[in-house]
Amino acid sequence: MSIAVSIENLSFTYAGKENPALKNIQARIEEGSFICIMGHGGAGKSSLCYALNALIPKFFRGSYLGRVVVKGNEVSKQTVSRLSRQVGLVLQDFEAQLFSTNVELEMAFGPENHALPRLEIKKRIQYYLKSIGLEHFGQRQPATLSGGQKQRLAIGSVLTMEPDTLVLDEPTTDLDPKGAEEVLAVAQGLRQENRTLVMVAPEPEIAMDADRIWLMRDGELIAQGPPNEILTDTSKLISCGVKPPSLLELFQSLGWPGKPMSIVQALTLIEQHQLFPQRKQIPPPLSSGQIKGPYILQAEDLEYVYPFQGIKALQGINLTIGEGEFVALLGQNGSGKTTLAKHCNGLLKPTTGRMLVQGKTTSAYSHKELAQKVGYIFQNPDHQIFARTVEEEIGFGLKVLGIDSKTIQRRVTEALEVVGLQGYEKEIPFTLTKGERQRVAVASVLAVQPQVIILDEPTTGLDYGHQRHMMDLLRDLNQKGHTIIIITHSMWVAAEYAGRTIVLKEGCIVLDGPTRSVFADESKLAEASLAPPPLVQMSNRLGLEALTLKQMVQELKR
Amino acid sequence: MNIFLYLDKETWIHRLDPRTKLISAVILFGICLCFNHPVYLAVISAGIFFLGLWARALSNFWKLRYILLLLILFSSILWPFFVSGPTRWWGWGPFAISRESAFYGLAMGLRLSTFVGIGLIFLSTTRNEELTNGLIRLGVPYPLAFALSTALRLVPTFVGAGATIIQAQVSRGLDLESGNIFRRIGKFIPQAVPLFIYAIHHTNYLAMALESKGFDPKAKRTFYYEPKMQRIDFMVLGFFVLLLFVLLYMRLGLGLGVIIKGRL
Repeated sequence: MSIAVSIENLSFTYAGKENPALKNIQARIEEGSFICIMGHGGAGKSSLCYALNALIPKFFRGSYLGRVVVKGNEVSKQTVSRLSRQVGLVLQDFEAQLFSTNVELEMAFGPENHALPRLEIKKRIQYYLKSIGLEHFGQRQPATLSGGQKQRLAIGSVLTMEPDTLVLDEPTTDLDPKGAEEVLAVAQGLRQENRTLVMVAPEPEIAMDADRIWLMRDGELIAQGPPNEILTDTSKLISCGVKPPSLLELFQSLGWPGKPMSIVQALTLIEQHQLFPQRKQIPPPLSSGQIKGPYILQAEDLEYVYPFQGIKALQGINLTIGEGEFVALLGQNGSGKTTLAKHCNGLLKPTTGRMLVQGKTTSAYSHKELAQKVGYIFQNPDHQIFARTVEEEIGFGLKVLGIDSKTIQRRVTEALEVVGLQGYEKEIPFTLTKGERQRVAVASVLAVQPQVIILDEPTTGLDYGHQRHMMDLLRDLNQKGHTIIIITHSMWVAAEYAGRTIVLKEGCIVLDGPTRSVFADESKLAEASLAPPPLVQMSNRLGLEALTLKQMVQELKR
Repeated sequence: MNIFLYLDKETWIHRLDPRTKLISAVILFGICLCFNHPVYLAVISAGIFFLGLWARALSNFWKLRYILLLLILFSSILWPFFVSGPTRWWGWGPFAISRESAFYGLAMGLRLSTFVGIGLIFLSTTRNEELTNGLIRLGVPYPLAFALSTALRLVPTFVGAGATIIQAQVSRGLDLESGNIFRRIGKFIPQAVPLFIYAIHHTNYLAMALESKGFDPKAKRTFYYEPKMQRIDFMVLGFFVLLLFVLLYMRLGLGLGVIIKGRL
């Protein structure tokens, strides 16, 4: 096998930064192989991707040592645009890289730049539209596509340049489970065409099919090898902020033989070694609909139609949420999760029906009053951060409410303590990491001390360590009496933390109940294009009640 | 939310060469400047409205109905104070309104909203890429044309981000509904800062994406959609040029359509 890319002792420090983003990277990519890069946030995964197509050092300046060689050509001696014939890079944020007015033109842009003849471009567009499964979308506006379709288009727009090596930076992070599946299917198809594929993978389940996995920590490539070697080293994975494969973790904690990566493998192992008497029945659904405290949120026949498009986003939602609950809202993009959540703090007003907060309709409150009762944290913390210091940022909501400065100071300190950012008062919010900025956003809502806290995708874009940190924080707040509602695509987060799970599909609630019984109904979940996390699937197969690793180990040891 | 103006329809106006549409738009702007009598301008406005109907672009007119109405309203109210005519209707100190100045104001309102209407028809029937292409073929350098069309393309993106940012700040208790004008302006800082950061981040990212797709402003490139001037393009251009000359003759030669002399 010939070598597609070789990275030789590469180090890079961004101009103006002290710590290097990449440290002595030494690696080779064989032609036609599939490499997965894993690591914590800020480990240098994206930087490594940029180094492959010359964005580093051509677009990003800094001190560059060592070299990267693609097909015998040194990357740093080429321009990004010339290298685009050999290395295609799909950036993480697919929204920002689509700019044409229809799908066809988006895919034509690369070959247009290479000055290919029009007929050839046409041929390529037709061919690659098929490989990304968008044959019938040639004339559609990219903005009207779903997330998964947009990401596939982003991949397609790079494929038409026919690069030998394709680099995908976290192609599934911002997608719902269905969209992620679609994108992975495209990647799978590309592998069969013998293209060299480099992918930054946030979850181990994606990396299982890789030929080799590169594990990164603090700019260093600390391990590389085949999946069954890298993914089985649980402690090393955790030290790199990567979630270990849950079934493997289960087998290791129980001391069971074998290293299963999939449900099928695990079940065969169990049968082979007769590890556990398989019970056939699915656990009885726990009593549903019991609500602890008094109602805090009530939706009555809530319908919502978006004014400009006339799309009915919610169709007759009836829902009561009690004080002190921890609720997860699940569903595909466009199922109405966010629309429903935005009704809870009055950002949207029902078209028909009512939304009550503590027994009063949301329209009877002012935004100010509602903000004190229901806090809402948007997915992207950068949409709200504006102040010069963390202190000012967190105190903003309180200042707006007209609270005196002494109380503000006290509450800011408290809120920072809760999110674990003590002493950050004078820091500049924009210089913090994504995880820290997210926590600043949470603190700024916490400081107002609302009873209900709603979070849109609190774990997206965070690595495993930070996801845990964020969710543990929410659990603490819940135990202190706050009602927590999260919108999430991450099934294990819902399984492990939420007491109650609500599944939406096309503006209707299809499942609502204790998380355990919702995840037991795999067929209904599948209708909403969702599936329980592997561990819960296992639990369902074995007839257990466990939702988390700990519970499962306990139950199986009994 | 779809905030693009382009409407993907099949009309003969959509199929015109972007150059034809660009030049025609300029001629039409000129035609609007021929007269300052509201009746004559009303005829021109009606013509543009009819073109909009033909281009099936009326949904965009409806989208911007408030802007169009406000333009007419403000011009009709404000212009009369700045010009004077012989037939005095009302006066108070330095302020005076005459029959001619009132008509002139109305004419200016119609002219402004017709300008907007022409632009709307152009943007509703021309893809961004076609606009770039048309500009290049008219001799505008590629980097400049590309920058212009990208700027146009980014407007809806930033409007969308702005809407999200406002929601995020309102969720924190920011009250945009009360206070006097100065306090309200102060309240925009929490929105302006994240929007700036977003804009910088977004454009930087876009630049990365462009380079990664082989974009090089100086290099030779293909245009996937190659517009060709057809017979209808020449007919349309010929018609508008002729129309412009006829109308110019009416104004300059015959002195028609003038409510106040010596003004555009």
